[in-house]
Amino acid sequence: MRIPCPYCGERNSGEFVYRGDAAPMRPEGAEGLFDYVYLRENPAGPLREHWYHAQGCRNWIEVTRDTRNHVISGAILAREARR
Amino acid sequence: MAEALLIEQRKGLALASVMARKGVSAQDLGKAFGLSALPEGPRSARIDSLSFWGTGPGTWLAIADRFDPGWPQRLEQIAGRLASISDQTGSYALFRLSGNGARTLLQRGAAVDLDPQVFGPGSVATTVIAHIGAIIHRDEAGYDVAVFRSYAESFRDWYDSVAATV
Ligand SMILES: [Zn+2]
Repeated sequence: MRIPCPYCGERNSGEFVYRGDAAPMRPEGAEGLFDYVYLRENPAGPLREHWYHAQGCRNWIEVTRDTRNHVISGAILAREARR
Repeated sequence: MAEALLIEQRKGLALASVMARKGVSAQDLGKAFGLSALPEGPRSARIDSLSFWGTGPGTWLAIADRFDPGWPQRLEQIAGRLASISDQTGSYALFRLSGNGARTLLQRGAAVDLDPQVFGPGSVATTVIAHIGAIIHRDEAGYDVAVFRSYAESFRDWYDSVAATV
């Protein structure tokens, strides 16, 4: 699989570290922490997920990937996704 | 590139990483160094004997052709308020690949397209060659490859074995 890094361009997925669903946000306190750490949706369809380009520009990126066929419809820097 | 394949280690360089501070643009930093801008993508820029390779958003590897005792304070004086500068002179070993087959050799290790149509002079790629982190830079005459210094011997082993097949 090739991941389109917004900075580096298309790269082999082996250059990246996969971190999963980009949606969960760390809660302020203890409440909700279990869900944040352990609970994930398992959607059949487009999913926004975090990949870290460890062997490239060393940036976290947010990739939108369809879990049914691995088609990637977009990728942006994670820092820009959070704005 | 019609000459014979030549691989040599470049010595006597000075290296530093340049990381833009929050809100500082590639233009702001470039102007401080006398350029219109530092490259905003994986490309290089050069002024006098100083080169900048784009290695990530807001980060560059600065390379001076000749090490001098004023390095990297010289960079800090120019851009210390705009960027974080850290000396990398001892961190990377730089190899120069030129002549016939240089691209073929590199292409057998790097999974990025090095075709001149998409990787022409001034292009930079931070990637891996034989599991070794490598920054590849292309100029008119050939390629520079920067690898972490402790991997220099492994990189040499790799190109020795591949060069025999080119
Ligand atoms: Zn990247």
